[in-house]
Order: sequence, then C-alpha cells, then structure tokens
Amino acid sequence: MLPLPSFSLLAPDRLDDVLAPLGQPGVRLLAGGTDLLPSMKHRLFKPATLLSLSRVPELARIEPTEDGGLRIGAMATLLGVRQDARVRAGWPALASACATVATRTIQAMGTLGGNVMLDTRCLYYNQPAGWRASIGGCLKAEGSVCHVAPRGTGCYAAQSSDTVPSLMLYEAELELLSRRGSRRLALSELFSADGRDGPRIERDELLRAVILPPPGAVVLHRKVRPRGAIDYGMLLVAVRRQGDGGSAVISALGPAPVSVRVEQLGDLAQAAWKASNPLSTHSWSSTWRKHMVRIEVARAVAELTTPRLAIAHG
Amino acid sequence: MDRSDDLDRKAAMEKRVAERLAARAAKEAAQAQQAEERTAADVTDPSTYMGPADTRSGQPAEGGVVGAGGRGKIDGLAKITGRAIFADDLKLPRMAHAKVLRSPHPHARIVSIDTHEALAMEGVLAVVVGTDLPTRHGAIPVVMDETALALDKVRYIGEPVACVCATSEELAWLACQRINVVYELLPPVLTIEDALDADKPAIHEWRRKGGNVLRKVDQSYGDVDAALAGSDLVLEESYEYPASTHVPLEAHCAVAAPSDEGRLTVWSSTQNPHYMHRTLTRVLGMEQASIRLIKPDVGAGYGGKCDTFCSDILSAHLARLLGRPVKMAMEREEVFYAHRGRHRTRMWLKMGMNKDGRITAIDFKAWADGGAYSSYGVVTSYYLGVFMPLPYRLDNYRFESTRLYTNHPPAGPKRGHGAIQPRFALEVHLDRMARALGLEPADVRANNLFPPDSITVNGLRITSMGLPDCLAQVREASGYDEKVGLQDSGPFKRGIGLAASAYMCGALHPIYQTDTPHSGIQLKIDRSGRVTAFTGTADCGQGSNHMVACVVAERLGIQPEMITVIEADSDLCPVDLGSYSSRVTFMAGNAALHAAETMRSRLVTAVADKFGVQPEDVLCCDGQYSAGDQALKWTDVIELAESRFGTLGATGSYRPPKIGSRFRRQSVGPSPAYSFTAQVAEVTVDEETGIVTVHDIWAAHDLGRVLHPEIAMGQIEGCVYMGVGEAMLEEQRYRDGVMTTPSILEYRIPTVYDTPEIHAILVESHDPEGPFGAKECGEGPQLSTVPAIANAIFHASGIWLTHPPFTPEKVLRALRQRDLQRAREAT
Amino acid sequence: MPDEIVLKTTINGESARLLVPANRSLLDMLREDLGLTGSKHGCDVGDCGACTVLLDGQPRLSCITLAAEADGRAVRTIEGMAEGGLLHPIQEALHRHVGAQCGYCTPGIVMALAPLVDDPDQAVDDETLREVLGANICRCTGYTRILSAAREVLAGGDRQRGRAAGAREPSDGGTA
Ligand SMILES: Cc1cc2nc3c(=O)[nH]c(=O)nc-3n(C[C@H](O)[C@H](O)[C@H](O)COP(=O)(O)OP(=O)(O)OC[C@H]3O[C@@H](n4cnc5c(N)ncnc54)[C@H](O)[C@@H]3O)c2cc1C
Ligand code: SF4
Ligand code: FES
Ligand code: FES
Repeated sequence: MLPLPSFSLLAPDRLDDVLAPLGQPGVRLLAGGTDLLPSMKHRLFKPATLLSLSRVPELARIEPTEDGGLRIGAMATLLGVRQDARVRAGWPALASACATVATRTIQAMGTLGGNVMLDTRCLYYNQPAGWRASIGGCLKAEGSVCHVAPRGTGCYAAQSSDTVPSLMLYEAELELLSRRGSRRLALSELFSADGRDGPRIERDELLRAVILPPPGAVVLHRKVRPRGAIDYGMLLVAVRRQGDGGSAVISALGPAPVSVRVEQLGDLAQAAWKASNPLSTHSWSSTWRKHMVRIEVARAVAELTTPRLAIAHG
Repeated sequence: MDRSDDLDRKAAMEKRVAERLAARAAKEAAQAQQAEERTAADVTDPSTYMGPADTRSGQPAEGGVVGAGGRGKIDGLAKITGRAIFADDLKLPRMAHAKVLRSPHPHARIVSIDTHEALAMEGVLAVVVGTDLPTRHGAIPVVMDETALALDKVRYIGEPVACVCATSEELAWLACQRINVVYELLPPVLTIEDALDADKPAIHEWRRKGGNVLRKVDQSYGDVDAALAGSDLVLEESYEYPASTHVPLEAHCAVAAPSDEGRLTVWSSTQNPHYMHRTLTRVLGMEQASIRLIKPDVGAGYGGKCDTFCSDILSAHLARLLGRPVKMAMEREEVFYAHRGRHRTRMWLKMGMNKDGRITAIDFKAWADGGAYSSYGVVTSYYLGVFMPLPYRLDNYRFESTRLYTNHPPAGPKRGHGAIQPRFALEVHLDRMARALGLEPADVRANNLFPPDSITVNGLRITSMGLPDCLAQVREASGYDEKVGLQDSGPFKRGIGLAASAYMCGALHPIYQTDTPHSGIQLKIDRSGRVTAFTGTADCGQGSNHMVACVVAERLGIQPEMITVIEADSDLCPVDLGSYSSRVTFMAGNAALHAAETMRSRLVTAVADKFGVQPEDVLCCDGQYSAGDQALKWTDVIELAESRFGTLGATGSYRPPKIGSRFRRQSVGPSPAYSFTAQVAEVTVDEETGIVTVHDIWAAHDLGRVLHPEIAMGQIEGCVYMGVGEAMLEEQRYRDGVMTTPSILEYRIPTVYDTPEIHAILVESHDPEGPFGAKECGEGPQLSTVPAIANAIFHASGIWLTHPPFTPEKVLRALRQRDLQRAREAT
Repeated sequence: MPDEIVLKTTINGESARLLVPANRSLLDMLREDLGLTGSKHGCDVGDCGACTVLLDGQPRLSCITLAAEADGRAVRTIEGMAEGGLLHPIQEALHRHVGAQCGYCTPGIVMALAPLVDDPDQAVDDETLREVLGANICRCTGYTRILSAAREVLAGGDRQRGRAAGAREPSDGGTA
C-alpha cells in the first residue's frame, strides 16, 4: 500500500462552495485524480485540503455555444468527450486525442479540465519519493540541480497533455472562474516557459470550461509513445491545414507546446523540426524524438491532403 | 438425463474401452521394442522413479485425463472469483506491519543509524537494523554474501538498511522516513570494465580473493582452434543483452505469526519454499522444525521469487520479537530493487561453419553484470555456457563466462535463466552465417540437429528430441518458406525470421548436496472418494497444481476435479525443491505418478480379487473400475480397498537419474531431459521511423507430452510474450547506479497492443522418463523469441541487431550504417 | 476540518455506512476496512489495472480513486460478480480458456471486461475489446487466452450467467 499523505477533503455540490475556499493556502483542486493522486502518492504534492469537483454536476456539461461552437465543462470525462457526437463531427481531432490518453479506464476517470491543467512531466520528477531522494531531488522538487540540463537554471519538464495540441489548433479558449468573476484565456496563453511554474491561472481560479469556436478547422492529431496504451506521449503533434499553408503544434518536448505556421504546407515538417528542441526528460532518446517531429508532421500533412480526408472535413 | 443419452454414453464408453485395450496391446509391443533399444546404462540409480513403462510411451493414456482440454484448471475458479488468497490478502488479529528504509547510494559505508526519532513515534513497535540479523545467507550455499539488512555497507541503491514495525503500514512507512543514516560514500563499480578491473574497490571486501569476479567458468571440448582454422567460414561478433526484470504483478509479501510452543508460521509469496525454509532457519537461528512455511497463492514469479527476501526474514524476525503477527509487503518500486532479473551480458561469439552448413566449432565468452549480491549467480555463470552445444551437433566447443559483482541491484534467475542471452547470440549468428553461405537458415538448423538419444560434446544426455517436428510445423504454419522469398520496397518492410532453442527440465543436482528426493508427494483418500494430494510444489500460476491432479487422476481413473491439491505447507507436504529450472512437471509429475501408481495397485488388487481376474485386466477410467462386464464405481472401489487394506495412503518421490558424465566438473547444466522450441516471427520495419512492429509469432514447442493443452499453450504464450517484451521494450536502465525504471510506467512491459498474435503449437516427443512422456514448457519457449525477431528484422531490412531491445533509435542507426555500406559497395 | 469522512455506499448490492480517513483510497477501503481482498494492489498508482472495480457500473482504478468517491454510489467488486452463486459469463469463459494463470490480474480484468458483456445491446468489436483490455497488464498470459475467452462470450450472444461459482467440474467418479 502506498499511502496518500493526509489531507482534509471538501466535496461541495455547489459551484459557489467550490469558489469560496479556492485560493486559500494549501487548497488544491481534485478532478478525476488520475494525475494528482499518483503524484501525491509519490509525495510530489502534500496539499492540506483537497477540493473535489466531482459533485458539481454543472461542471460536467457539454453544450453548444450561441455561435455554433461547443462549451465542454472541465469535469467532462475524456471518454465522454470522445464519445460525444458533436465533438466527433465538428472537432474530430479532439476526439481522437482523448482516445489516445492512457487507457480507456483512465479516460473514463480523467477529465478534460484535468488534462489541460496536467502537471509537466519528467523522468527525474515523476518517480517515487525514495527514488528522488537517491538523486537528491531536482529543481522542480526538493533539489537544487536539474538532471536534464545540469548547468542550466531552468526546468524543462514536458507539457504532456494529449488534448492540448489539437485544442490549440482549434483555437480553444478557457473559461476561468473565481469569486472575482469569470474571464476567458486563449489556451495558447496557459503555458509557462519553465516546467516548475505550472499553468498560468490565478490561485483562486478554476477552469470551468473549454470553449471551442465553431467547427471548420481541419486538424489532425498524432501521438508517439513507446507502447500502444498506458504511456504518455513522448511526442505529440497536431497539424492544421489553412488554405495552401498550415500550422502545427508540437508538444511533450518541453514545458510549453511549440506552434509553427507556414505559407506552404510542404514546408511544415521542416519548420516544425527546426522549432523543436527536445531534452532528455523522457527515457527514450531526444535525438530520435526530434527525428520523429519531421516524420510525424509530414505524415499528418500527407493524410490531410489525401482527397478522402479533405472531403470528410468539408 | 434421459435413457437414450444413457445408452449413447454407454456405447461411447464401450468403444473407448475397446480402443484402449487395442491401444494397450500396441503399446506393449512398442515398449518391449523401446526397452531393448534404450541403453539402461545411463540410469544407475534404482530409486529414480520414472513411472511404469505404460506411462512413458506414446500411447493414449487410459484414463482419458492426460491431454484432455476444454476444462479449466482445478484452482482456476478461485482465481477468477477473487477467492484465491495471496500473501497480502492475509489479515490476522493484532497484525503489525513492517517497512524498510532503503539505501539512496550505490556504494557507501554506513557510519551510523539513528533510530531514536522513529522509535519514539506512537504506534512504532520496533526498529531493526542490520546488526540485529547479522547472519549471512545466499541462494546458493557456497556463496553466502547477503544479509537481511545492510550490515556495515550498502552495495546498491534500494538495498534495505533499516526496518520499522508499526501498528499500521502507513505509520511504518512514515517512521522509516524519520530514521537518520549517515553514510560515507565509496566509489561505485557500475560497469563490466570496472568490475573486471582489479584496482577498483572490492564490493565484498571480506571475500579473500576474486575481487569483483563472483565466478569464472571456462570449459573446452574438442579442438576449437584447429576446427575454426579448417572451417569454410568463420564469423566473430559481439552482442550485448540488456538487464531486464520479471515484474510479477503481485509484489513480494510475507506474513509471519508466532504459534504454539515457540513455533513460527510464515506465509510467503515464494517460488522456492524449501530453500527459503532452510535460509530462514539459518538466519533466525531456529530449528527448521520450528518454522512452518506456507506458500499461499502466488501472483507469479518467473524466477523473481526464487530467493529469500528481506520481507521474509524481517516479518519472521519481528513476529518472534514482538509475539504478534507481522506483515511486510513490498511496494512496486521495491520489487524493482529486489530484482534478481536477467543479467546484463556482454558476449563474444566466434563460430565456424562449412559450406554445407555444418557447424564446426564455437568459441564463446560472456561477462555478466550480476549486481551487488550473488543470488543464483554461480549457476548463471554455468548456464551462460553449458547449453550452447544443444540442439546442434557440435564437436568443438569452448566457453568462458564471468559473473561479476557491481553496485547494481542483484541479478538472478529470470525465465530461461542464463540461457536466453547466449541463445540470442547463437541463433542470430547462425542465421547470418547460413545466409553468408547462401543457405536457408531453417534448413541449416534442421540439418545440424542431434538425433534422439545423443550425448553432447559436454556430456549432456538428450533423450527425446522433437525439434525436427517443431521446425517443420512452424515453417508450415507461418508460411515461412514462401514468405522468406518475398522482399518489400517502400518504407514499410515486412520480414520473417526463425530461431530454435533447447532448455532443461530440472537440474540433476539441487543447490545442496543430498541423496534425498527432489520431489515428494503424499496421497490420501477419503471414504467419500475425494483424493487429497499433498505436494511441496509451488504453483505460481504455471499450473503445477493441476498437473499433479491430472497425473494422479489419470492413473486412478478419475477426474482431476475429484482431487484436492494441498501444496507447499511444510507441516503438511513432503519436500519439493521448488519452481525453478523448469523442473516441476518432470520431477513432481514423476513423484505424483509414483504415488498414484502405488495407490492404484492397491485399488486394482482389491478389485481384481473381487472380480476374480488378474490386476492387469482391470480398467480404470471415468470413475469406474471394470473388467469384462463387471464394474465398480469409484466410491465402491474405495470402500472395497479400504476394507481390505485399511486407511488408504501412498507416497511417491522422484530423484533424477545419476547420469554418468565424462566430465566431473559438469555438475551444473545436466538435466534428465531437454525441451525444444522453434519459432517464426513476422515483423514490419518502418524504415523512416525505425519502429518495428511484431505481427505474429508461431511457436512450436516439444513438451514431450501434452497433459493439459490450454495450460501448456498458455505457458508457451506467456514465454513468447515475455520474449517480445525483452526484444522490443524492456530494459532495466541505470544512470550512475540509479535505476531510471522503477515503476510499471517507466519499465514498459507489453500491453495487449504491443503483443503480437501468438500461435502456440504443441509438439509431442514422448520423453522416455517424463511423466506420461511430458517435459517442460514454461521457460524453454522464451529462448527462441528474441532471435526470431532479430532474424525477421534482418530479413525485412538487411540489418543485424546485436543489442536488444530493438528500439527505433537502434534500428535507425543500423539502417543508416546499412545505407552507408550499400553506398560504399555501389561505388 | 475533518480528517475522517463518513460515507454511505452500496457494495456488491449491500448498503454500508463507513467512517474512513479522508486519504483512504477506494482500494484500501475495500481491502483493509471491508476485507474484500479480491481487488489487488499491482502498482498502486494507476499503471496496471489490477485494482479495477466498478463505480456506478463504470470501470475505475480503485488505487487512485478516493474512498470518498464511493459516497452515494454503487461499488461492485470481483466478490460481487458471481451473482446468486452463478459465474458471470466472462468468468466462466476465462476459466474454461485458462485465461488466468497466476490470477493476480484476473479480478481487474473481469471487472474491466464485464460491462462490455453486460450491455447486450452494445455490439463490441475487436478494437473496443482491445481498448478496454489495454488498461490491464497481465504478465503471465500474453493476453491470448483472455482475448479468446472474451471474444467467445461477446460473439456468442449468449451473455447469460453460467456455472456455480463454487462448482467443480462434475466428476464422473463422484456421480457415476
Ligand atoms: C497510467 C497513467 C497514464 C496516463 N497517460 C496519459 C496520457 O497518455 N496523456 C495524458 O494527457 N494524460 C495521461 N495521464 C494523466 C491523466 O490521466 C489525464 O491527463 C487526465 O485527463 C487528468 O485529468 P484528471 O481529471 O484526472 O486530473 P486531476 O488529476 O484531478 O488533476 C490534474 C491537475 O489539474 C488540476 N485541475 C483539475 N481540474 C481543474 C480545474 N477544473 N481547474 C483548475 N485546475 C484543475 C488539479 O489540481 C491537478 O493539479 C495518465 C495518467 C495515468 C495514471
Ligand atoms: S527538467 Fe530538470 S528540473 Fe525539471 S523536472 Fe526534469 S530534472 Fe527536474
Ligand atoms: S493497482 Fe491500481 S492501477 Fe495498478
Ligand atoms: S494471470 Fe498472472 S498477471 Fe495475469
């Protein structure tokens, strides 16, 4: 048995009761728990209070927006999102990104909100407590050196959320809520340049929903992982076609996803490759991961330009 | 049941009986001939039990149990309903929990351990340190180099240093964090080069000689140099096989409880209860008779639970100390430190072959990173070399293998112990040479095989040998012969590859000198007809419980489900040496057969006398004993026999034959029989990414005789699965002595998506000494998997990979080299 | 703020009221507080599936689910799968195909696969089957026999409960 550190638990069923304690020291939000609880078992976090969102039904709703977009409640499960007929029709790359998260069981537990807010990951950080002690910790937890870039002062832990790249290319916005009110943030603004800093929202804010603009964007999601299930991506790629040109978001290589845009689709793979700079935050070689950027983007582009898909995407 | 059913059934049964009688006559004739052909000289020990002649031939067994499938195993229901009780499922009144603090350093002297703070915590019952249990122990008695907790020095990251016992698991864990250990760091020895360097510090400084070499074995047979010099082709290559580990889904766990009169009962998730029994006795300084050792259901081992671990010793010690039950369950991370997995092995192989494909000589060297303690390392050093002369005829063979100490967690026996690495090298090498000579590798293999009843150059005695059949069957089933002619263009290249192998069915010699049986069994029959078999065997999922029931049921003419198997409880069951070296079916199966035979002869005597016929005319099957038109049902047979002989009980035992070898030093390696495997793998290489996909594996295994088809196929499938993991994904990686893979997330074992279609093919060769002709099938089939995949990758892309796992990066690198080479050749 | 919580839940059809520490995982509650040891610790952090149980009919990794999540919900564990003493069809098929070797992964696998079988309206293709099984590590079997058992049940249309949970194969010896 790997005990969880002790904490008090709040599980209100009204949104207001969630907002009240939010932002107080030691309070942390708990959604599906599939990221947070393993990390707590590894003693990466010891919050005094867990504030569970699982009893607030309105947070799990998926509903159309007035302009024909979609508003997905942060607590909608990944399985729920990928099975939603509207998502599949209008934002298919999001559905397929959800389908590549971990396993179907975890998709039924994990939420879209938790996925977007996922902690950055690193081979030297996401490890058991005793193990970290044997390397003296690292900059992101308990230590004073980075084992990935020992001479650096920053942390390169990788943003590894599967849904982020395609959501970014769909130009998703986040609806953030606090006692102070509600605001919108472009998803692309969420990420920090340093792996320690976490998502750039205020401490008293929660992610209420992910807002998708009306459908139309032609996006593809690809994931490179060692095994066919369970594993986090060691490279995540989403590609969008825009006329003759297009853009790509490359993720899981560093603290923030990287976006590139080109006028000619044919240049996208090279541009993405150039913009990528993976470090050894993953046990698989960073040279190979960089090599894969070009191939994955090129393959996505090829798929996007085959007539079959072009038609399917209208 | 209506009458017509009844009649049908009766007719079917009569038909079966008639068939069996005919079969028996044929069988007897065949046996008489076989008996003449066999050289009895091999077997000098009359106490060796190998069953009566009619259990050793190819004829159908009369009871209809052996080979019958479509039924689960006798302990299957407990497993699918969650009723099976594993060690961690035990909960006893007042049970306390123990946890250990582990070393964060690969090599350091322990200066001091301050336990005050931990001891002062409420709920903490005891703290134990190394000096409380200073007696050294070891899996192999000739090298006892391990203690329950580090004594004065730590030798790997993760080594247990101090132990807390508390009223809850959580508290014990928290208290461990409050123990303060001061270390003085020592330079670690982390590579094979450093371990071989006599100037580096000795990890076991108390050993008088050898530095960091645990054992070096060298053996030579024939004239290797002359044979190589005279060969048409000689190829020399280095290989490196990575460290990998078992990852049984159940973590190691032990529970100990004081019982009457100062005795102790220990439940442990172990594969080798008998050896553990001896080790506990030694370390705790108790009488062996004062410890009752029980193996509950075990969530698999694959070799990983052959040793005695800190959890076993500490729970026992604490239970005694505190006078209350104590459990120590390892966390997943700790299982990775407990390790005893595959030795990372560097190899060098030089082989000669003539134009006709005949292998002329093999010269082989291996260096194995054994980690900080010896475990079964002495045996490993032999296994790395002794099986090479199987299954291909070879007159000239030399090997040198060195098992080293390093500051990594201890390596040990993992499925295919010691034989996996050299087999990989040999099978890849063989393919390469065959192709260089323009020969079909599969044919080269088939043409080099030993015939049955052969002796290898190093004195291994082969009896049954079904490899020709295995080779033919995998070639046929996989379409190898057609596919091997195909070559893809474009970035996705399909390829097919083949490999073969051999493995042992138990060791002739146990780890300690003794003339006692290797396996014992005791049978008891209740008046209700229910049979209980008491056996020391340790089922870890492989199905040995069912095997025992199957053998006994077959002989007694009843169904296995009528048999309760009580296993691995030292107060109840006779000794069996354990689930290692693929010995159980062969050895415990023979013991079971012996006991069943003894019992049967009593039952049959009683029945024959009543019927007024000869005992050999009594047919025992389907719960009925009959002769002509007289018949008695099972419960009546029991009543009759019990009235005649008193309480019904029988014992059986097995001791392997004393096979005279020309080579006295050859004490590790010889087995009473060998199993054989041929495998074909079909893969695709994506030449842009380097990603290899394994689509299908066909595995034909000569297991002597099928006792239960689904269990046997399951063993083969499990072996192939583990081989695919080692070929494609698994590697115990270290950085400066720190294992970077101490979780199921980082140490990647195949999911259903990463597992190819596995086609298991059962091949019977009817071993003359195996129970009903059976041999092993739980380890041997893994040996061919990795080389078959490597050979398929060559066929697809023309690259020889010498370092598993075949990660995309390695594949890409090899492809680049290939392209450079091709470019050079073109200019 | 309380470090212990009271929860009302239904476990295998029986309602229960429990007082557990807030940091209790559902798995530890089942195993330690209720003695339902059929659900297993394989990794304790979500990597293996050995702890899978059903929460309101959905497979869940109980090692990374708080016990508190069970409040007001229905939990089903392997102990509750053989209803009225009759095996769930997936159990029955796993038994016959010898889909369990050591059996340590088996409770989790039964719980992951059972919902596929229990919804007779849902046609389950092989891809879905693999996807569901992808959450569960089995180190013994290579999944081969687990897949064949599941395929047989799903294809059979006969998703009926089978033999008695305590059943042994009727022995001719015993009944003749
Ligand atoms: C074995 C395993 C494999 C995994 N593989 C993948 C993978 O391949 N790809 C992948 O993307 N993820 C993976 N995950 C991580 C995780 O399952 C998913 O990312 C999931 O979507 C996280 O959602 P959750 O609801 O469980 O988040 P939680 O764990 O509950 O929360 C995650 C973080 O987000 C914060 N948070 C949650 N909700 C909100 C909110 N509404 N507002 C503000 N902050 C919030 C929490 O405080 C916490 O810091 C894996 C997890 C496991 C255990
Ligand atoms: S990148 Fe460096 S600092 Fe950041 S988690 Fe990894 S090792 Fe720690
Ligand atoms: S024990 Fe829960 S997923 Fe492994
Ligand atoms: S049967 Fe042993 S892990 Fe699946």
